[in-house]
Amino acid sequence: MKKYDTPLIDELEKGPWPSFVTEMKKAAKNNEMANDAVGHLEKCYRTKVGYWKHGGIVGVLGYGGGVIGRYSELGDEFPGVAHFHTVRLNQPSGFFYTSAALKEICDIWDKYGSGLTNVHGSTGDLVLLGTKTDALETIFAEYSSRGWDLGSSGSALRTPSCCVGPGRCEWTNYDTLDLNYALTQEFQDEIHRPMFSYKFKIKMSGCACDCVASIARADMSIIGTWKGHIEVNQDEVKNYAKNGMDINAEIVNMCPTQCISYDGKDLKINNAECSRCMHCISKMTKALKATGERGATICIGSKAPIVVGSLLSWVIVPFIKVEPPYTELKDLIRKIWEWWDDNAKPRERIGEVIEMKGMRSFLEGIGQAPIPQQIKEPRKDPFMFYTEEDMAAFKAKEAEEKKTGKYKF
Amino acid sequence: MEMAELQDKIFAFCEAAKGKKKLKEKDILIGVSTELSLEKDEVKKALREMINVGRLMYSYGGGASSVEIPSEEYLREKGMIK
Repeated sequence: MKKYDTPLIDELEKGPWPSFVTEMKKAAKNNEMANDAVGHLEKCYRTKVGYWKHGGIVGVLGYGGGVIGRYSELGDEFPGVAHFHTVRLNQPSGFFYTSAALKEICDIWDKYGSGLTNVHGSTGDLVLLGTKTDALETIFAEYSSRGWDLGSSGSALRTPSCCVGPGRCEWTNYDTLDLNYALTQEFQDEIHRPMFSYKFKIKMSGCACDCVASIARADMSIIGTWKGHIEVNQDEVKNYAKNGMDINAEIVNMCPTQCISYDGKDLKINNAECSRCMHCISKMTKALKATGERGATICIGSKAPIVVGSLLSWVIVPFIKVEPPYTELKDLIRKIWEWWDDNAKPRERIGEVIEMKGMRSFLEGIGQAPIPQQIKEPRKDPFMFYTEEDMAAFKAKEAEEKKTGKYKF
Repeated sequence: MEMAELQDKIFAFCEAAKGKKKLKEKDILIGVSTELSLEKDEVKKALREMINVGRLMYSYGGGASSVEIPSEEYLREKGMIK
């Protein structure tokens, strides 16, 4: 095996942090593809050129996604990375694996690929880095025979992902793991056979802490929330204060809606003003607890910058019950796709189409009534739409009030 | 319309667009269903079968996917021709 001199990437091994270079070098001891990837990376750093190209026709028969073709222009110099395709494996809900499952994945990958992995990629999938075209069908056969499936890529529903939810977290407002699994099963066709104008991502968080960052990374964010009050245990509040928490600085002053007060003894919350951001609950776990009906808020449209700048998701459904078989949610998703499909040009994300066509057109298209809670940013710009009929009714009401002197509210 | 005949029509539709336009799956569904006055679902079923057996294939470039007629290289790689 050729030994590459790597002074530049060696710099990335210094310092107290784990280094991907160290891990690549470990893999390179036993794998020619990983070894060439190390040499290739050093050359990229030295010449400040990427040399990678991606896309094309690689994949497994019948699937339109799950494999992303990657090729190096330096195939003659580094034959191990001439083909270096990425394979995405559909991750389990909440990223829970047994050691045996991880070993199984790695054993297969060591046999047919570079041995390098990315757990997890930004899409959520378990990403296997670097294999050759002629190994793809065999890799797919090996994984699928053991119950694994490929993830998604291209103009498709990307592999849905969710936070750990009820598996490990007491704050979750719905079963993110079950919903993630249910949507993955329901939309197999949309995941594996690219049919949209561009990618569509669904991410699920059990509460507003939003551990999968769905508000910024998913075209559709399903974020857990609740309808009731925040229950306060004043004894535990006292304990937090006794143990050194500066409640005014860390909780009261950081409440985005300023709905909390603390007089040094009791903590009070004006629940009508609370936007359920989770800050206080996550800081004072033992003292504060959400109560009442649980469900989720649906937001739409976030994305990273490509056609237009990056966007955060907008609220379109402030509260929806999230319970099996999730019929209401699945129907809503289908309506959203239909509107998007009818209005999008190639490579336009749904958030961009909403920006261009307007939220009014979108809400009409999916059959949602405009309501004040459909806001772009909490507490900043609520908006409402008035149709000509609304205006006519308003004018008639105004005229009647003027005439009779009786005002209706 | 017989499935085989419909699949030939779909193939001809893709062949006509070859080198001119990257066809999305939706373009084929709308184009062929309008041309033949068929339901989109019928066209979709026929299209999916063609993709399953490698008569058509998905391609990918710049983040967007399209449906294409496979190259000989692809068919050879999948063991469909020698």
